[in-house]
Amino acid sequence: MKTTGVKRLIQKALASGHGALSEYDSKRLLSAYGVPVTREKLVKTAAEAKKAADGLGYPVVLKGCAPDLLHKTEAGLVAVGLGSARDVTDAFKTLSGRAGPHFTGGYLVQEMVKGSRELMIGMTRDEQFGPSVMFGLGGIFTEVLEDVSFRLAPLTLTDARDMMNEIRATRILDAVRGMPRVDRAALARAIVGVGKAAADNPEIAEIDINPLIIAGAKPVAVDGLVILKAAGESK
Amino acid sequence: MTAKRNLKRFFAPRNVAVVGASATKGRPGRVVIENMRANGYAGNIYPVNPRGGRLLGMKVYKTIEDLPSGIDLAIVILAAQATPQAVRDCAARKIGSIVLVAGGFAEVDHAGEDLQEELARAAHETGVRVLGPNTAGHISTPADFTSSFFPLGKIPKGGISYVAQTGNFTGAMMKHIMSAENYGVARCIGLGNTVDIDETDVFEFLATDKHTDAIFFYLESLRRPRDFIEIARKVTPKKPVIMLKGGATPDGAAAALSHTASLGSDDRILDGALRQAGVVRIDEFSHLFLAAKAAAPMPVPAGNRVGFVSPSGAFIVHISDLCRQRLNLTFPNLTKKTMDRLKEISPPFIRLSNPVDIFPSATVHGMEYAYREAMEAVFKDPNVDAVVSIMILTKELGMPSLDFIPELAAKYPKKPLYISFSGDHACNEEAKAFLEPRGVPTFPLIEDAFKALDILVRAGQALKS
Repeated sequence: MKTTGVKRLIQKALASGHGALSEYDSKRLLSAYGVPVTREKLVKTAAEAKKAADGLGYPVVLKGCAPDLLHKTEAGLVAVGLGSARDVTDAFKTLSGRAGPHFTGGYLVQEMVKGSRELMIGMTRDEQFGPSVMFGLGGIFTEVLEDVSFRLAPLTLTDARDMMNEIRATRILDAVRGMPRVDRAALARAIVGVGKAAADNPEIAEIDINPLIIAGAKPVAVDGLVILKAAGESK
Repeated sequence: MTAKRNLKRFFAPRNVAVVGASATKGRPGRVVIENMRANGYAGNIYPVNPRGGRLLGMKVYKTIEDLPSGIDLAIVILAAQATPQAVRDCAARKIGSIVLVAGGFAEVDHAGEDLQEELARAAHETGVRVLGPNTAGHISTPADFTSSFFPLGKIPKGGISYVAQTGNFTGAMMKHIMSAENYGVARCIGLGNTVDIDETDVFEFLATDKHTDAIFFYLESLRRPRDFIEIARKVTPKKPVIMLKGGATPDGAAAALSHTASLGSDDRILDGALRQAGVVRIDEFSHLFLAAKAAAPMPVPAGNRVGFVSPSGAFIVHISDLCRQRLNLTFPNLTKKTMDRLKEISPPFIRLSNPVDIFPSATVHGMEYAYREAMEAVFKDPNVDAVVSIMILTKELGMPSLDFIPELAAKYPKKPLYISFSGDHACNEEAKAFLEPRGVPTFPLIEDAFKALDILVRAGQALKS
């Protein structure tokens, strides 16, 4: 998707009164700015889900997907490690049951990214400094360890590399426990891309890419959330 | 509102008025005049006091209105209530800069807050530049000038400039620098309550000030953070900018939707912004002096590789731990040439490396020879960016001649040299009194030399980029 598509995506969401993009749209936006994302398909039915899973290869992840659905896991709308077509159709039944009859969103069938290193990239607009990009440990460690570093957007690739060196757990990016050294160039491009997304689109209030899993050496955004400013709000 | 004047005349006033001048010894209205005289201020000083008469041989003017023209700055030492009118009177007399000494404003109570508002209005409406209120004033040694009312005497000149969000940096803290250290200052500003002149205004001036080689900040808040960072980006490649930022606020944005917003506290984002702009953030007040004394006479290190000459294995172990765990300093391998030279000056059974244990050599050849030769060998080594030496000085051993130390510093002007001590305190003081006026900073506590070096290595990284 081109960045003109990004503008359309944002305008459409704002016109529909949404405060956030769906995971699927968030990732399309982030991907347009150079953030590697999971291979995934947005589907409506169990049959489509099965077909998508066949195409992606097993195992897969199934998630409820809608704008303003900020806490999928807490709502029980995430099923991981689905190893077969049967698993997918069963999970679809469970998730759609939980989502209830009023759920207007879709379902995301996603490749299951393997990697035990979970990082995150984010963006917030500081009242004083404006768009600020964050990098740090992801997953549950984000809130437990708060091991993060910030830079103001727009930022350079050198800024991004400094952010990687600045976290306490910086050695997680090295070759550890038989895992390869993280592709820092790809990671730096993703960090810079998040800053550019914020600089280009004043409608974006916050971004969370969490987790950003390191698959082999490469970073992949496994979840993505783009929060928009309410219309008329300016900060 | 009138367009704001730059601070050129604020730092180099041609003539000065002291409003609230006093004949009484020890009163601010007299001390400020004595300070200016002690520093050889060349402009005219015009005291103002409703009683008139004469003061220290000068005519006293009864009102601001009576003052002659050609005055660039007024130091106003009046009670808080009288200051807004004094600002307007000075403006009417075409005095462009005012230092407001009085306290009793927003730092005290609500009435004070209102008064401060009134003062801010007076400054903005007249376009006069106002420092304070609630400040001990400023120092500008290139102009032989100070507005400080704290008895200071002659302030040593140098390339260090301080901007402090406290009134008394140009008072008691300046006194500390003058009495404990041997470096001089260029400009020092106690910002006080900041109704007008703020840290960013001063930063902008210091950025292009040819008398300022390094800028130190003590701040509790940033009024115009984006502007400040913009200036910092331009300055840090040219001169070190070092900041102690107090009053870190707790995490904001408790109700934030994203993890990023909830982790984006003011302090974390500020920290990232400062690093991005090449500002070195420090976390100890004493380092405002420690890093300044290191920076004042010595070049900024080109890198973090230290050649360390130590008289004790314990110091080597401890300092190595400190550098590995808390500081970004390394002890590089020395070249074969350096190692061969170190072997020549040591007893045959000794195996040397970096850090260099100089004790065996000193035992055989004496302090002076061993230190001189080892330090020179390390200075010459291309793997070394800076040299730190700890000396054992006692009366019983006899003070060695220290002439070789400033000589070495002069011979290798691209690499900083810091000296520390262990032993007789009186000898340390004697060595400090000899070395520092000759341009070699000394650090009585062994860690301090390395902490100061670490700060300047960080500043050097910004200088490079």
